[in-house]
Amino acid sequence: MKKVLSIVLALALLLGMASFASADELTELNTYETQARELETWNVHYSQAAADLNVLCNLFDGLLTNDNHGNLKANAAKSYETPDNGKTWIFTLNEGMKWINKEGEEQADVKASDWATGLEWVLNYSKNDSYNVSMPAEMIAGANDYYEYTKAMAESEGADAVKALDAGEGSKFAETVGIAVDDAAGTITYTLVDTLPYFPSVATYNCLYPLSAELIEEVGVDGYRDITWEDMWYSGAYVVTYYEFQNQKVLEKAPNYWNDANCKRFDKVTIKMVESPATAYQLFKEGQLDHVTPLDTATLQDIYNEKADAEYKANLVESRPTKYSYQMHLVYAKNLEDGETPDVNWNTAVANENFRKSWYYGLDLTGYFARTNAINPLSCQNFCYTGNGVAFTSNGTDYTQLVRDELGLQYSTENYARLNKELAAECKAKAMEELTAKGVTFPVEVDYYISGASTTAAETAKVLENIFSECLGDDYVKLVTKTYTSLAPEVRTPRKASFYINGWGADFADPINFLGQETYNDPQAYYSNAYSHCNENDDPDLVAAYQEFTGLVTEAKAITGDLDARYAAFAKAEACFLNHALVIPCSYEIGWELTKINNYTKVYSMYGMQAYRYVDWETSTEAYTTEQMAANAEAYAAQ
Amino acid sequence: MVKYILKRLFQSLLTVLLVVCVVFVLMRMMPKEYFFTEDELMKFTDQQKYSKLEAQGIMDICSRCHGNGLLEDGSACPDCMTYSTNPNQGTGYVDRPVLVQLGDFFSSMFEMRVFNAKGKEVKSIVPVSLWQWLGDRENAFGELKEGYRPRLCFNLGKSIRLEKGQYVTDVIAVKMSVSMSIGLVSLAISLVLGVVLGVLQARYKDGLFDHVGTGYTVLVNAVPHLVIYTIIMIAGASIFGLPMRYDATAAEPWRTMVLPVVCLSIGSTAGYMLWTRRYMVDELNKDYIRLAKLKGLSDRKVMFRHVLKNAFVPLAQYLPYSILLTVGGSLLVERFFAVPGMGPELTNAISRYDLNLVQGIVLLYATMGILGVFLGDLLMTIIDPRIKLTGKGDVR
Repeated sequence: MKKVLSIVLALALLLGMASFASADELTELNTYETQARELETWNVHYSQAAADLNVLCNLFDGLLTNDNHGNLKANAAKSYETPDNGKTWIFTLNEGMKWINKEGEEQADVKASDWATGLEWVLNYSKNDSYNVSMPAEMIAGANDYYEYTKAMAESEGADAVKALDAGEGSKFAETVGIAVDDAAGTITYTLVDTLPYFPSVATYNCLYPLSAELIEEVGVDGYRDITWEDMWYSGAYVVTYYEFQNQKVLEKAPNYWNDANCKRFDKVTIKMVESPATAYQLFKEGQLDHVTPLDTATLQDIYNEKADAEYKANLVESRPTKYSYQMHLVYAKNLEDGETPDVNWNTAVANENFRKSWYYGLDLTGYFARTNAINPLSCQNFCYTGNGVAFTSNGTDYTQLVRDELGLQYSTENYARLNKELAAECKAKAMEELTAKGVTFPVEVDYYISGASTTAAETAKVLENIFSECLGDDYVKLVTKTYTSLAPEVRTPRKASFYINGWGADFADPINFLGQETYNDPQAYYSNAYSHCNENDDPDLVAAYQEFTGLVTEAKAITGDLDARYAAFAKAEACFLNHALVIPCSYEIGWELTKINNYTKVYSMYGMQAYRYVDWETSTEAYTTEQMAANAEAYAAQ
Repeated sequence: MVKYILKRLFQSLLTVLLVVCVVFVLMRMMPKEYFFTEDELMKFTDQQKYSKLEAQGIMDICSRCHGNGLLEDGSACPDCMTYSTNPNQGTGYVDRPVLVQLGDFFSSMFEMRVFNAKGKEVKSIVPVSLWQWLGDRENAFGELKEGYRPRLCFNLGKSIRLEKGQYVTDVIAVKMSVSMSIGLVSLAISLVLGVVLGVLQARYKDGLFDHVGTGYTVLVNAVPHLVIYTIIMIAGASIFGLPMRYDATAAEPWRTMVLPVVCLSIGSTAGYMLWTRRYMVDELNKDYIRLAKLKGLSDRKVMFRHVLKNAFVPLAQYLPYSILLTVGGSLLVERFFAVPGMGPELTNAISRYDLNLVQGIVLLYATMGILGVFLGDLLMTIIDPRIKLTGKGDVR
């Protein structure tokens, strides 16, 4: 009897704790975006902007998603397999998924053929204006041919004829593109142009999202292109119940959601548009927001130094890194202020490896990091080109760890480990000697451009100027900060900048998504063609360095069967790239925040568009304390 | 008078057309890269960029090489080499002449939209193809038989960036109503308060009330508005518990409008006070007022029957203009309190190069501005019959 009683009591206690725990969780989430990041389209196939996809990923279920550790996780597809080591991928759908409207009324079943309709939409020149076409066109067999076919047809027969195309049986799409669907079995089979082991990560992205042919029938092709939240059909965890441009969006739990039993959702998520992070902080203080991420530097310092709102000091928590890896992209074919005359002095200097290495080893960027993270600046240090968490080896090692092992550099909380003043001084002396012989005059002018509208950027530029002056010396380089109103036409196209600091975030889980942007003489390499212009500097040492790196990337890309070997080969290529200091790895975005959300339970996706899914989040009605979040981090690491 | 009104209306129409044409041409003279976000420039291939510009009616597929960039003999198409970075191949796209684009804009100002049985638009037909559609009667009436309904609509195109795919007229209509609801309340408050306080200042000129009023006017004009708004926002939220953001879904939406209305009223009240006081003081120093006082009229009668009536004439001139301009909202206030109104829309549209939206808003503002001045002139003649808009009126 005592035993039974003790079990009953224990159960009652557990139930009590559970109800207490659930009472402590937020049932409604109040989050925000700044007004500059308003959603531009509700058409998930048409969007390429993070601000859109952060919302849309909640409204539709892609084949796969990510969990809070970044692993791929079943979503609309309950399983996936490849029978031939990565050239063919078969996804099997869950049963019982429905398309619903904003009122929650069922409209149609979610079928395998919806994925064919979605892909046809993306590849159809007249339907999607070529948005999101590059990834499927490069990866799926016949996709590029179909895209070109629709483009040629648009010219010869007009847009209406192309808009009338569909993905039905016997269609040109079905004949051409490597996708086979079986509605009865619920399978979608993709045939790729090559063996692509990372393809499942592409299945998290919107280019492979479903689209109901019945919806197109209802609203028409033009109607779907410009679809609104009121007319569209939903298949994801939430539906939109209210939207006011530049004011707020309200998402509510989708009724009868197929995966309701297996995921935790908020009853309501309100995304409020705010004028600035400072306004967000005011709203957080008033209890109208559940987090403020990140805190602006002034507010953070005020709280941390107890100058204002000291009661929040105990709640300051360090954010997790975003998916962007920031680099100093050097420009190898820069022009002078007129935008036409080559800046020979700079171009000669930057082609010199010792010159670049003096930056690589000599710049102590700690002060620069403090602009983002005033409390713990070294959290932001970045020694790699590829972002953290993009790819993992079979034993769970982050790919960037392989790169750091190759470089012999490890992160330290004590100091900025890449800084090597002796080596930098040695490189500087050699560079000055070699470049003087080539007619370079010192100090070399380094033109750095920032947005003229941003006071934050101006303050950060001042910090950079000081870093350059103190670390490299005024006799060697002179950082000159200039401003623009629109970067591309005023600076990038006329090539007026000596370097840019910009971040790249991956769309899928493979290092090629990063390194492929930097290869030599490759028309697809975005940074090589649009930023560094490395193909246009004929310095033999620079060309040799780029060719060595490009060769290693090509070799790594060819390894498709053994992922560990592939990542090891990419790590070698990346280390070669960095050892030649062809770019200077700069930082990660890790600020501080006040939050009622356990960041370690959120989807942690360092590529693609799944990071903002409001699913399975653990929250608290009170802001987490620093200690509580540290405990969350420990528990997460132990998982 | 009728002739004068018609003449002014015609002149106004011409001015509006001119403004629209100038803005249209200027926006299209921008380098092509301005039409993309940095994110798009980073991710788009050249093909995507040209395709998008074609969809916006800014470029055409090259008719000589049919979009291939190559002629039949394999040589580069000379017609589409302007933006090509490859000397051996054109881009396949050519610029659409600006005048042709302008023609497209005006010719599609009215279009037929076809709605299905559920009221959802399934087709829009511009006049050029409207005749084709109607010509194919079987098709046209076949569609109508299925429950489709055609409707003639005023068309300014669709937003291409800010509210992608939404009709500019719809976007403007929704935002206008929000801005006007806040703007009109604020205008009414500031007009009543400003005029009353201005009259009192004039009545007790050089007294304590006048000094306090002048101090208020100077303070409001001297301190940056953003500072004032921040103080109002924090004080309103912490002392009176008022919401810091506009929220139409709130249980009591009017409460969320209080702080924006207060902020809007603060400045314009000072303006009305300043001008009312100034015109009243001017009138008070005139001979006819002295005469009225000598004749024994009471101060109250002098102030309200003579002074205020005459002092109000120049204020009245701007009243229609002020009322009509409430559709434009306030850039600062609306951005600060997240009011989804017209205020930030023009700057947002310009900064994001949303051509159709810019044109639509400019058309609206130009029309409202010109109409406001015109109505102001008419109102003046009603309040003060001595003023004539045609011929020589009496001297005031």
